[in-house]
Amino acid sequence: MKQMFESYSQMIFQLVRRLHFSPVCQAAESSLLAKLRKKTGYTIANCKKALEMHNNDSDKAEAWLNEQAQAMGWAKATKLAGRTALQGLVAVKFTKDHGALVELNCETDFVAKNEKFHKMIEDATIACFKFAHTNLQSKGPVTKMELDSEQLANLNVEGKKLSEVLALFIGSVGENAVLRRAECWKANSKDIKIAGYTHPAPAVPGEYSAGKYGALLAYKQSGETEDIGRQICQHIVGCAPNKIGVKEKDKPAKNSDDETCLIFQEYLLDPSYTVEEVLQQHNAEVIDYVRFSCGEIVETNMPGVEKQPLDTVQTLQ
Amino acid sequence: MSGRLLIRSFCYKVVQRSPYKSNVPSCNRLFISVFCNEFSTKAAKQFEEKKHCNIGTIGHVDHGKTTLTAAITKVLASDGLAHFVSYDEIDKAPEEKARGITINAAHVGYSTKLRHYAHTDCPGHADYVRNMISGASQMDAAILVVAANDGPMPQTREHLLLAKQVGIQHILVFINKADIVDNELLELVEIEMRELMSDFGYDGNTVPMICGSALKALNGDESEFGAPSIRKLLDTMDTYVPRIVRDLVSPFLMPIDNAFTVPGRGTVVVGTIKRGVMKKNDDADLMGFGYNIKTTLSDIQIFKKSVTEALAGDNVGVLLRGMKIKSVETGMLLCAAKSFTLSNHYKAKIYFLTRNEGGRKKPVFSKYSQQMFSGTWNVAARIDLDPSMHMMMPGDHGEVYLTLLQGMVMTQGQPFTIRENNVTVATGIITETLPSIDVPKGKLGKVVMKYE
Repeated sequence: MKQMFESYSQMIFQLVRRLHFSPVCQAAESSLLAKLRKKTGYTIANCKKALEMHNNDSDKAEAWLNEQAQAMGWAKATKLAGRTALQGLVAVKFTKDHGALVELNCETDFVAKNEKFHKMIEDATIACFKFAHTNLQSKGPVTKMELDSEQLANLNVEGKKLSEVLALFIGSVGENAVLRRAECWKANSKDIKIAGYTHPAPAVPGEYSAGKYGALLAYKQSGETEDIGRQICQHIVGCAPNKIGVKEKDKPAKNSDDETCLIFQEYLLDPSYTVEEVLQQHNAEVIDYVRFSCGEIVETNMPGVEKQPLDTVQTLQ
Repeated sequence: MSGRLLIRSFCYKVVQRSPYKSNVPSCNRLFISVFCNEFSTKAAKQFEEKKHCNIGTIGHVDHGKTTLTAAITKVLASDGLAHFVSYDEIDKAPEEKARGITINAAHVGYSTKLRHYAHTDCPGHADYVRNMISGASQMDAAILVVAANDGPMPQTREHLLLAKQVGIQHILVFINKADIVDNELLELVEIEMRELMSDFGYDGNTVPMICGSALKALNGDESEFGAPSIRKLLDTMDTYVPRIVRDLVSPFLMPIDNAFTVPGRGTVVVGTIKRGVMKKNDDADLMGFGYNIKTTLSDIQIFKKSVTEALAGDNVGVLLRGMKIKSVETGMLLCAAKSFTLSNHYKAKIYFLTRNEGGRKKPVFSKYSQQMFSGTWNVAARIDLDPSMHMMMPGDHGEVYLTLLQGMVMTQGQPFTIRENNVTVATGIITETLPSIDVPKGKLGKVVMKYE
């Protein structure tokens, strides 16, 4: 035991000596660097550059970093653009008469679990939700706007363009990210309601949620029966129908498992009824729906329609 | 640099020693292990290790995981221990299909002087978890790759979270691109990594950190950050990740593969001992399908020779005292008396196969009852989702509660599959044994779940 102590004390001595003899200024710099990095979260190399440029003045360095972040973000975003991004999340935000469904993609699902990603998609969803309030003209029962990545990038959130926010995000995680698509809906009459659902669903249903799958639904429901908007949304997420279907025109498929018309599908929460029967029981009618599954659109298969400026887009029923 | 090394070795020694208060003179661990090897019994030596280890790389997409893997094979190839696998070959590894589940992880194998490694590149969280659940790939240890010029990224937390969740106990950090930054930055990256590791419950002070440049090594550079850094990483892997030792300490356990009657003697059960040591005249329990029968090991035979004890890994025939052949069924378990409890209720991690993989099309809800297969047996089981989950879509993975129609013994990590209409729809592993619950009148649908 004595031997051990001796060897340790010798080591401590050497350690202390080593610390004291190393250049003091370097130690100070490196702790400044550590602090700056912890505070700002920018890459180590950039933090070091900032400190060097401003003679170790951490306030100035931080200001410079914040200034540069946008430019660096753009540079990174340009560099990474084109890399496949198929992971990510689908987020929905809705009230009784407005709804927004947004898909944001990234390269790995590690990033999709990060807080910054959640903040990013929430910002984008809020921007779309606001957009649904302001710009839509009233035509038909539901005004629907389909936005692609370019149109999404031009939306504003807190005075900034979404594309700028996205570039900042890309700069910070160093992975490609794409605002893939969005749907902004507005109900044009009092009796039409909008509901949304994402899977996995949050424990407490709320106006906003995010997951791997999402759906937005516009429906009419009259009378005192229980509101089934959320359940129908869940059914759409779970059973992925291709269309609503018209009772007179479409025929139910032979095998109920392969049914693609919403109204003929077995109701997810009680397979002994079809969706149509459930709708009848609750005096409800489905006006329209849309379902996003994260990563289902491969970049090369993106709709090749010509891009229109945001204010002229009107995709109606 | 030297100061850093000094600190590291110091921390290492203090942390290693202080909890044990051992009175072994201050000699290094290598010496002790050599010492043990020399004087342990022949039998123990024989079963001591499987010279194999599963290791994986995790980290940011641009930090050089693939380059590192290529560099490792390159360096070992020059020593004649591996086949060089180029960057392109790893990156473009064709998607394999194994057990019906798409595996999009590249597997590379190589050996050091001491061990053989199977190297996996971890593609994504969900991808890794489903590979792990289906048994296609697995990590005993992980190399976390971080680039020195970027430092830990926001998603490095998520990488560590995955490692923690899937129970990886040994992590090494490889600080890549060390050649393009100065020592001061390297030190900072190292400090940040140690802090981050400590945040996730790893022992940040003792985690080995190796600085190097995978690209340099790949180009055959022999300077400090080139090939020598890769050799250092490999040496550290050999010493830091402990050998997988066959478990001889736990109470013995043997799944029954077969049973027959020897006229005039009694019932003999045959199987391979999974763990522990079996001794003649030990008390044992034969469990499964709702039965728990007490018995004694009257005789143990290995290859028709009577022995007094048998070790994990041995294929044995065991004569059970007072056992009727009628009571033995394939799939039952023979274990040391009172070492296990029979239960019909388990917690498990499960993955539902997607439609493309041959799974279900529709989501699954609680009270989902199907036939469950594991080892050599199958039994009706009911699946209840974690209360936080509404439903599980094909392609989802998560925690579920299993309720079996009959009590069975299952160990942690035991794999199972769920089949519906003769199609595999889900695969999973047991994570926890819960107290048995009542199945009213043998009807799984009437079970009342009590969540914790």
